[in-house]
Amino acid sequence: MKNPKHGQIWYYLKPEKPALAVITLSGIIYNVGMTANPWFEGKLVQYLCDIIDGTKAFHNMLKLALVYTAVILIIQSMRFVKRLYVRKFANHINRAMKEDLYHSMISKSKADLETEGVGSLMTKAIFDVDACAEGIRKFTTEIFDTGVVMIAYFVLLLGYDWRLTIISMLFPPIAYMIANRLKKIVTESAKSYKESAERLSAATYDRIGNALTYRIYGQESNQNALYEKCLVDYEAKAVKANIWENAMQPIYMVISMAGCICVLWFGGKNVSGTGWAQWDIAAFVTFLSCFTKLSVKSSKAAKLFNSVQKASVSWNRIKLWLTPKDEIKIESQIIHKAKTDEKTALEVEHVSFCHKGCPYLFSDISFSAKLGEIIGITGPIACGKSTLGQLLLGEMPYEGTIKMYGDVSYMGHETELISGTIEENILLGDKADVQDALSWVQMDEEVSSMPKGIKTRIGNGGITLSGGQQARIALARTLQHRKEILILDDPFSSIDMETERKIFSTLKELAKNSAVLLFSHRLSLFPQMDKVIWIGKDSFIVSNHQELMSENPEYAAFYRAQTQTNDNKGGSHDEK
Amino acid sequence: MKNSAVMKAVRKTITSCKRLTAMLILTVIGSIAIGLVPPLVLEWIINLLTEGKETSFALVMGYFLLLSLSGFMDAKKESLITMFGQKITHQIRSIMCQKLKALLADYYTMQDTGAAVSRFVGDVDTIENLFTSGIISMAADALRLLSILAIIYLKSPGLGLMLLFVLPLLYMMTRSFQKRMLSAQMDNRQAVGSSNNHILDTIRSIRMLHNLKKEPYMEKKYDVHIQERFAAINKSNFYDSVYSPIIMSVNAVLIAVMMVLSAKGGNMMAFFGMSAGTAVAVISYVGKIFEPLESIGMEIQNIQSALAGIRRINDFLNEPEKKQQAQADFKEKENLPAISIQQLHFGYEREKEILQGLTLTVEQGEHITMIGRTGAGKSTIFKLLLGIYEPWSGTIEIFGHNSTAIKEKDRRFIFGYVEQEFHAVPGSILEQITLSDPSISREQAIDALNVVGLWETIKDFPDGLNTIYADSLFSQGQMQLISIARAIASNPRILLLDEITADLDSETEHRVLQALQAASENRTVLSISHRLYEYSGGRCITIS
Repeated sequence: MKNPKHGQIWYYLKPEKPALAVITLSGIIYNVGMTANPWFEGKLVQYLCDIIDGTKAFHNMLKLALVYTAVILIIQSMRFVKRLYVRKFANHINRAMKEDLYHSMISKSKADLETEGVGSLMTKAIFDVDACAEGIRKFTTEIFDTGVVMIAYFVLLLGYDWRLTIISMLFPPIAYMIANRLKKIVTESAKSYKESAERLSAATYDRIGNALTYRIYGQESNQNALYEKCLVDYEAKAVKANIWENAMQPIYMVISMAGCICVLWFGGKNVSGTGWAQWDIAAFVTFLSCFTKLSVKSSKAAKLFNSVQKASVSWNRIKLWLTPKDEIKIESQIIHKAKTDEKTALEVEHVSFCHKGCPYLFSDISFSAKLGEIIGITGPIACGKSTLGQLLLGEMPYEGTIKMYGDVSYMGHETELISGTIEENILLGDKADVQDALSWVQMDEEVSSMPKGIKTRIGNGGITLSGGQQARIALARTLQHRKEILILDDPFSSIDMETERKIFSTLKELAKNSAVLLFSHRLSLFPQMDKVIWIGKDSFIVSNHQELMSENPEYAAFYRAQTQTNDNKGGSHDEK
Repeated sequence: MKNSAVMKAVRKTITSCKRLTAMLILTVIGSIAIGLVPPLVLEWIINLLTEGKETSFALVMGYFLLLSLSGFMDAKKESLITMFGQKITHQIRSIMCQKLKALLADYYTMQDTGAAVSRFVGDVDTIENLFTSGIISMAADALRLLSILAIIYLKSPGLGLMLLFVLPLLYMMTRSFQKRMLSAQMDNRQAVGSSNNHILDTIRSIRMLHNLKKEPYMEKKYDVHIQERFAAINKSNFYDSVYSPIIMSVNAVLIAVMMVLSAKGGNMMAFFGMSAGTAVAVISYVGKIFEPLESIGMEIQNIQSALAGIRRINDFLNEPEKKQQAQADFKEKENLPAISIQQLHFGYEREKEILQGLTLTVEQGEHITMIGRTGAGKSTIFKLLLGIYEPWSGTIEIFGHNSTAIKEKDRRFIFGYVEQEFHAVPGSILEQITLSDPSISREQAIDALNVVGLWETIKDFPDGLNTIYADSLFSQGQMQLISIARAIASNPRILLLDEITADLDSETEHRVLQALQAASENRTVLSISHRLYEYSGGRCITIS
């Protein structure tokens, strides 16, 4: 337990030591004090009998009642302290776990996150942590409220009559055993209820989302019939699961309470002096009240085990995700070199790459880029353009050497916008004037005409913007954060030609101190590039536009095909 | 509210399940009545003991049997309430589903699917709560509260009066606590929503975040959401922690006061009606009275949120509907044109007329390509032909039948419609083609796949046609092929081909065009696909 590491539950419990100390102290006082309640109830009734008989007087009762009230007030305030701290404690753990989990998640690579899947990650980051913290809370609560209190009650009962205690206490374990036996049915019916609910929700999405398709094909009545089937199934499963889950509870209670027959019968004998022990009415009342409370507690003990079970399942799911970044090493083969006076920014030497089990996408390619240079890279569909860009990000292993004299800014196919305002998306927390960045991508006027201007919220992944607007905001963001090497993968694909030309001339100004690699399948700007790289099926040619036009028929055909159809292509995408 | 659709559903459920309803009412009353008896038996036993008499075994057994009976009645009550609630929600969902058939097409194009789905799922669930843990249990709890009060009053008028004074105060406290906790919970839910969203953002833009080294920025933002949730939970924690201790303390004080006043003897003792047995019984009743008090507060909450749900469901059920038209059986008449449009006027909004007096006749077996700029109304003509929208004026006749008067079951045998994009439905590849239509056989689906040239590919999947469809199984072009197979599986008379928007490489485009050409054979074809026209010819008309 010394120096617990991340990924161990103790790591989260350790900072909570003061809270745990408060919980332990107040928990023990409260739960041991709980036995006072039945004891006082018994005494109060006994005093009343005694007063009727004339053996006690009013002031005795007054004293007892005052003590009773005071004790209960103290016990209940202890209970308040305990409840509050248990909840605070769980809340702290919840926050700490979520922070750690997020920290570890954000340091994983795209590939890792994709393998894990969005659904699973979301479940882990929120649901599992909540379940875990809730499990810890319930467990801590129940250690005292079930564990300590049951022992205290049991000891109290033993003190009154040990034989009667043992006989009457045979029944709660039976209730518990039955509950445990039925646990499988309960969980299974709950599971099939959940599955049916999922099916119903999927069917609802389908029925509404594809409603017009079904209408066009005359399938609405058929689909409604199928939906009705889902409803029938859902109703049956819901009723079954709810009955097993809730309606069984009173039955367990009854079984636990069977012991009261013994308590009343033998306890009665005790009072009338013919039993195992000598009791007065106070003892009888206390014993009965105590027994009832114990039965209620023990019939609920099964729930405790369920919550612990659930929490441990969640804990196992998130355990590995609670390791923070500095313990994970992202391996990158890329050699980062200190900036030199020379203008070289990037050197790719004899690099070969293939996806696992596939033929080489490119082998033994070499090129370099200088600061201030703009290099256009193109080739037919699926030639590996995007892969080359990602290779430079160091995400995949390759053969050969890549040397970088500076940092990379990358803009990929996906715009990767976050929900928030336009300003937030471009600056991402930096302090700068966002108008500059917007003017670089020809968007300043467009944005200022929006009612909320740069504070316009763009929705999930930029959904409230058009494709062209999304692409330009992503470009503005990349340019705002430009580094020595700028990799732009198809930045203009959904932008019209006219705007593309304007943005490109800004880019040339902005990127004087950067080396730009511009991957594109639109070649209209390629005559203006300092270098052009053609990635053919079996070729990798570093050259420029003029030479490629005369020497590479593939490139020439590609260029001509585009400049001919350009008149009716492009431009149309950026309209609303 | 009285005549609302939801209330109709409730009435329908009550009248169709009379036995269940009757049993439910009886069980609720029974469980309350039986629950009241055991303390009375206990009082009897203790009074016997104080008088120095022995208890009879029958009395002891009677006490336990009453306890068991009360337990069983509670279990039965729970089950019946669940069954009843489920019946009602089932009924409401069925009615809502029927409504989907009658809604205008606009509803689907204007509304976000998620919003509509939330009415089916979330809002109906609040109604389920309304019955299970709302009205029924509130009635039961109120009844229980009143009967306990009555018994206490009979046994101990003094305590009864004390409770009458204390209960309203406690009730007010309960409600105020619950309201505060609810608002904290709303904050919590909102914070959970934003952190969910933030995680989604992070996953989606992880490459950019790494590249621009924005992890600290995102972590700071995430911390804000986590902190919001933390604060909300902390707020509700206080009320959650303090409520029950306060109730228990009040309970103790009441008992203490009652005992002290009884101990004064004379009139006071008579006023509190105290014997030892009564004291025990009354203590046990006092403990029971706070439970329904707390539940009633929760139930009011549930009823309130259900009212919002009911309002939203009623709004949905009151959405405007399509005009009901007399529908005739479809008969193909040989001498009539396949499509005949006369003086057609139509627009989606009143101010914006798109089609201004269009007249068009398409003979049987003819192939026609429509051209015209975006927004000229080419796709709109398809929607009118398919009867999804009604013309403002003018007529559309399909083989001499009014387009909106065609029966649902005939639709698929008249029209095959290849949409701009393929809309997948959940289920197997077979179901993509049949749309679970029982009138389309497996063989017909295979034939259709053969026509578009996709059968060879699908045949080799491990589960063949039964493979569960996923976008990742097919390329953009192949999805278009499935879309064509879906359109022609029923061997329709008329094929409507919308412009395909997917970016297809030239080889795939070639395959799709080939498939369209094969599908067009021996059919009347109306198409917006310019590429197809270049391929196969036919008549070309301009829509402007």
